Amino acid sequence: MKTIPPIVFSLLLTAVSSAAPMKDRVTGEELAARRMASASPVSTLAQPGKEANRVVRPSQESIINQSVILTDGTNWTLVPRGAVLHIPEAHKGKVGGRPVGNLLSWKRFVGLNRSWVSAEEVTLRQAEGVHNVDERRTAFWPKQDKIIVAVHLGGPISVVEAQNETVSTH
Amino acid sequence: MKATLLLAIISAAPALAGDTWVNFIRQNQVKSGVVWDMPVDAQGNGPSALTLEEDGALFQLWTIKQESFKDYLLDQKVVGTYLPSAEIRIQTGDPYPNVHRTRADQPFTVEIEIGGLLGGTGVPEAAKRVLAEHHLASYSAGQTSIDPRVATGSSPASSGYITTNGTMVLNFTGSTLPASDPTHAMGEEHFVVHSLPDLDAPQTQIASNFVQVWPVASGSIAGIEAGDTVRFNTPPLQLLLDNLYPSSTTYLQIYPGASRLGVDGKRVDGTVLVLDQDTKEDRIIALTDWEDAIGDEGEYTMEIITETPFGPERLTSLSFNVDRVLAVNALIGDFESTP
Repeated sequence: MKTIPPIVFSLLLTAVSSAAPMKDRVTGEELAARRMASASPVSTLAQPGKEANRVVRPSQESIINQSVILTDGTNWTLVPRGAVLHIPEAHKGKVGGRPVGNLLSWKRFVGLNRSWVSAEEVTLRQAEGVHNVDERRTAFWPKQDKIIVAVHLGGPISVVEAQNETVSTH
Repeated sequence: MKATLLLAIISAAPALAGDTWVNFIRQNQVKSGVVWDMPVDAQGNGPSALTLEEDGALFQLWTIKQESFKDYLLDQKVVGTYLPSAEIRIQTGDPYPNVHRTRADQPFTVEIEIGGLLGGTGVPEAAKRVLAEHHLASYSAGQTSIDPRVATGSSPASSGYITTNGTMVLNFTGSTLPASDPTHAMGEEHFVVHSLPDLDAPQTQIASNFVQVWPVASGSIAGIEAGDTVRFNTPPLQLLLDNLYPSSTTYLQIYPGASRLGVDGKRVDGTVLVLDQDTKEDRIIALTDWEDAIGDEGEYTMEIITETPFGPERLTSLSFNVDRVLAVNALIGDFESTP
């Protein structure tokens, strides 16, 4: 592969219309010949072995598929899986369905639906499952008759169920 | 440890103009698996308020189209105490601010800055090198953007390991997007740096960037042929313009004499087309009266010129003659009257 000296390349790149002389349009044949003479510079790096075939790519990711949908029939929002802590029987139909209506941010959605959805602020250690959510709070949820969503600093957060709080060293 | 996260919502938005979008920034803690949606405004920047684990966190910028509920991963970045770091910068000849933009035949550079790689024995492979990839994604007709997940979702066109810290400069002489005629190539070239997996952290993308590539413009003139003679009325013309660069000024110019590259001729009224947009364009310009662009008899040349950030270029050129003399062919003789 032919390489272009950096200083020449820099001059090529910094040419501006006011200073550049007029040229004829490049033809397909000329450009094809130029391509043949220079491969991608990435291919000059140390070549990876078969392990590169195992590279994980984000092509199959979807924030919608990786979330739980909340909807009131007119608006909807999404929160991370594991963020919904409590679902009263009466509101089961509002969780986990398909998107319907206008998508709102969590903040706007909860502001419009305070009558049936509520945010429960948790610590990061509670989200990690290191500490349990306060039992006095969990005992209060059924009395509220609201869907409870875990939030941390105002943003919905997934919560791992605590395994054994007493072994925590954090 | 707090991670400062700049929200790139504005720079990601141009290709999405005209629709309603809702943005989310999702932080995935690598070790604990905790997922947090950071409260965001439509634009701006701010620090992540969530404590960053030593094993790192993956920040993803998502947008969802209101009308179709389709989600797009606009960008993602991994931040971690013990992860290699990477930044990819792209430089082209077009100063367009919203996206890195170039043309199929134009050179561009990709700078990959790597930090945090370690050397010596006993160091895990993941700390010794990162994997750089070059992905090619062509546009179909009318397409102006590609979901990065799709563009980088399959095997790369080329890849290689980077094993040293510092900035590596990769000079590309032009686009390598596939096309039967390389001047027609259009799409995106994506560059990705992956950290390698080790016992504690999965392999993940630590930096990405892309350059948008537009085809080389072409043009032709219908209504007149090279060598034609124009007498009293100029013939109607059509300028057939294809793949005009999104930021360009294109016009027809005429000057006396034979064709010479670089002549600054007279721009013909009604043919100057100025574009400042986010996609290429095809146009047909009809011209009925261009008498003012020519004068005395003699040879003239007309050319279609397009000026882009890469300089002025002549798309086509033809020479013709102007001949105003009325030639009368008559036979002079005597008329004799018969008796």
